[in-house]
Amino acid sequence: MASASAPAVPQITLTSSDGIDISVDRSVAQRSVLIKNLLEDLPTESTNEPIPIPNVNEAVLKKVMEWCEHHKNDPTTTNDDDSDSRKKSTDIEEWDQRYMSVDQEMLFEIILAANYLDIKALLDVGCKTVANMIKGKSPEEIRKTFNIQNDFTPEEEDQIRRENEWAEDR
Amino acid sequence: MPTQMPPMPNKDDAKLTWAYLEAGVDKIMNELQDGMDMKTYMGLYTAIHNFCTAQKAVSTGGGFNSHNRGGAHLLGEDLYKHLIAYLGNHLQTVHQASKLHSDEALLRFYIKEWKRYTTAATYNNHLFRYLNRHWVKREMDEGKKNIYDIYTLHLVRWKEDMFTSTHLSVMDAVLKMVEKQRNGETIEQAQIKAVVESFVSLGLDESDSTKPTLDVYKEFFEAPFLKATGEYYSRESKQFLAENSVVEYMKKAETRLEEEKERVDLFLLAEILAPLNRTCEQSLIQDHSLILREEFQNLLDRDRQEDLGRMYKLLSRIPDGLDPLRARFEVHVRKCGLAAVEKVAADGENIEPKVYVEALLGVHTQYQDLVNAAFGGESEFVRSLDNACRDFVNRNKICKTGSSRSPELLAKYTDTLLKKSNAKMSEEDDMEKCQTEIMTVFKYIEDKDVFQKFYSRMLAKRLVHTSSASDDAETSMISKLKEACGFEYTNKLQRMFQDIQTSKDLNSAYKDWCADTYAAEENKNAVDATYSILGTGFWPLTPPSTPFIPPQAIVKTYERFAVFYNHKHSGRKLSWLWQLCKGEIRANYTKSAQRIPYTFQVSTYQMALLLPFNDADTLTYEQLEETTKLQKDTLDPCMNLFVKAKVLTCSPEGGKPEAGTSYTLNTNFKNKKVKVNLAITIKSEQKQEVEETHKTIEEDRKLLIQSAIVRIMKSRKKMKHTLLVTETIQQIKSRFSPKVSDIKKCIDILLEKEYLERLEGDELGYLA
Repeated sequence: MASASAPAVPQITLTSSDGIDISVDRSVAQRSVLIKNLLEDLPTESTNEPIPIPNVNEAVLKKVMEWCEHHKNDPTTTNDDDSDSRKKSTDIEEWDQRYMSVDQEMLFEIILAANYLDIKALLDVGCKTVANMIKGKSPEEIRKTFNIQNDFTPEEEDQIRRENEWAEDR
Repeated sequence: MPTQMPPMPNKDDAKLTWAYLEAGVDKIMNELQDGMDMKTYMGLYTAIHNFCTAQKAVSTGGGFNSHNRGGAHLLGEDLYKHLIAYLGNHLQTVHQASKLHSDEALLRFYIKEWKRYTTAATYNNHLFRYLNRHWVKREMDEGKKNIYDIYTLHLVRWKEDMFTSTHLSVMDAVLKMVEKQRNGETIEQAQIKAVVESFVSLGLDESDSTKPTLDVYKEFFEAPFLKATGEYYSRESKQFLAENSVVEYMKKAETRLEEEKERVDLFLLAEILAPLNRTCEQSLIQDHSLILREEFQNLLDRDRQEDLGRMYKLLSRIPDGLDPLRARFEVHVRKCGLAAVEKVAADGENIEPKVYVEALLGVHTQYQDLVNAAFGGESEFVRSLDNACRDFVNRNKICKTGSSRSPELLAKYTDTLLKKSNAKMSEEDDMEKCQTEIMTVFKYIEDKDVFQKFYSRMLAKRLVHTSSASDDAETSMISKLKEACGFEYTNKLQRMFQDIQTSKDLNSAYKDWCADTYAAEENKNAVDATYSILGTGFWPLTPPSTPFIPPQAIVKTYERFAVFYNHKHSGRKLSWLWQLCKGEIRANYTKSAQRIPYTFQVSTYQMALLLPFNDADTLTYEQLEETTKLQKDTLDPCMNLFVKAKVLTCSPEGGKPEAGTSYTLNTNFKNKKVKVNLAITIKSEQKQEVEETHKTIEEDRKLLIQSAIVRIMKSRKKMKHTLLVTETIQQIKSRFSPKVSDIKKCIDILLEKEYLERLEGDELGYLA
């Protein structure tokens, strides 16, 4: 509606690897520790320019910013060591589950981008999603899921199975 | 012109990647002030990220996937090592440049470089964040030594490659600046503050780099700083003392200590305050404590409160600094006390109690004020004051005959204060204040039992002769004594007070009884009398020392009262203390023109001697002696007094009171007053009383010691002789200081009386 009445939230511009400018709230972009540090390090006047993000294309960057937008009010975990519970649990909150309902290629792109942009929580959610895809599947099923070619010889496979027998769920 | 960045390298090419990064890091190290553009920032970060995430790195030749992890591993290490090498080179340059500077210029250089370096470190830490997050973290998790996050790595390198070789000259410059400031020059203290901060930052815990320690700061800043401070003040104080007085020096030292404290707030770490104080105290106070103490006596003699206070504050800062002062103070106060007594002791035995007590109080007040004002009322000084006061109150020129003089004089002073005749004085001075002062002296009195004896005698007199100034003052004094010495001490005093109150009620009851029992006419003609009934055990009074036949009129009067009293309390025996009674008689015989006849206030003895003149104008000495049965030592002073007051004339004129002298009523008696007081106590009587009092004190003390011994033995049953003596002293101390020989005597008496028995090995046993 009337843009004039919108609160003056400071905006910044990100330029994706394919050269597209994306405008986001400064606070949203700062979910990325990389961007946060950059904004803090560089003098303010130079941050009016678009920030080049050479490793992420427009589609993925937008997708990542969507996640940041949704989680902008989450408490930031500055601590690098997460609490154990979060590390171990593969539970994913509902919104994130829906967010992660994308094709595999996009999922991996998100994970790579999160790693690059240093967004710990998003990286965690991505990895958990992948973990959930693996959970309870046989090697054959996993290969199928991720389209992995079996490059083990039958002998090698046999040996690995024997070595890991103890871990099997019987 | 900012350095041009080389193009973004291929992510797999370590050599090119480092070349690219080195250019960036160099820019950050040296040209950050020219600004940094976003593209370079992102470029550097991305290059590191890409390099570390490159799957197939150059380093490995093997085709198997087992090296994937190792590859990333080695790649991180590569970058890390390159960075170390770069920092080494950079710092080498900085160090070389630092050699061109010295003193303040060096400080400026060091701080500038430090700031530039740490800012760059913050940048690099962010740019190398990917390395921190993965490679460094993994190395540290695996417990590798000497691997730090990128920022800490910068600090470690600075410490190794810069600090180690420059800290001596930096500290040299710092200390020179501080010395300048101490000499009164203005310096740029922010620089020192920055050096402190830089040294503190370099204190890294080797085992956990996230925990800062003060080790580096303590070793390389604090230690030399304290050393220089100590030397500076040793030098200064010696010189200052050589040229100035101790009083001036104390001011100087005080200022210096204050300055150093401020210095901490200005540019030092608060943590240094305690060791800095110790250092300054050593050089400024401890090293000169002897000279300071020497001055103490001087200041006391001149009563320089402010300087004394300064000395107290200074010496209180060093361990055991005050003990010698306290000892000297005690000696000084004792000396002053003795001198004050000496001054007023010219009258010797006849010293005015008020003068004596005021002399004691004067010294106490002066030095108590000093303790409060200069020594902050410190309890140890209060103790020294108390010790000194106790000493000179009990042992001085007046007391040389015995420590009982002080309590005696104090009791007498209290008596004058509480007596009616002293109306003028109680108006001027606050009674409460005087009583408090009395209690101050009382506190120091060792022979409290002597005071008690005298006090009770004088109280008895005040009560019997109704000469008390006010009941309130009496009560308040008794309650003060009770507070100081307990119920037992004032028990008898309180009972005496009660007896007087009861007597008042008894007298009015007697009046009513008389009105009911006798005819009005009979009552009218009877002698109007008031009676005080005093319990024998509580009053320090003795029976009359002379036989006495009271005049008939008195006999009739008291017999009537006795009837009433026995009626009320049957079985009680009344003994009349004639020596304390007095009355009034009216002289209707005088020829003077006065319309109102004279009234004589007389003792009962005097009354008995005058009343016979109603029947004869002239009586012989023998006749009077016969009528009254009074003994010579009571009779003679009375007769002398009558003659002297011209109530009687004697013949032969100037005749001594003895057989052969006769007395005639002087009908021409004249006096300005209508009421003439003839009942004046005679000097010799007073003296005798004092002696008597002292004698009873000795006896009472023996009893007190004996009862204490019995009390102790009753509870212990068996006890060593020496222990018993100490225990007894302990119990009695609050009343007086018993002599060991007296206690031993008392033990012997008790052995004789078979309260105690000797057991084996110096032990005594209790016999029930």
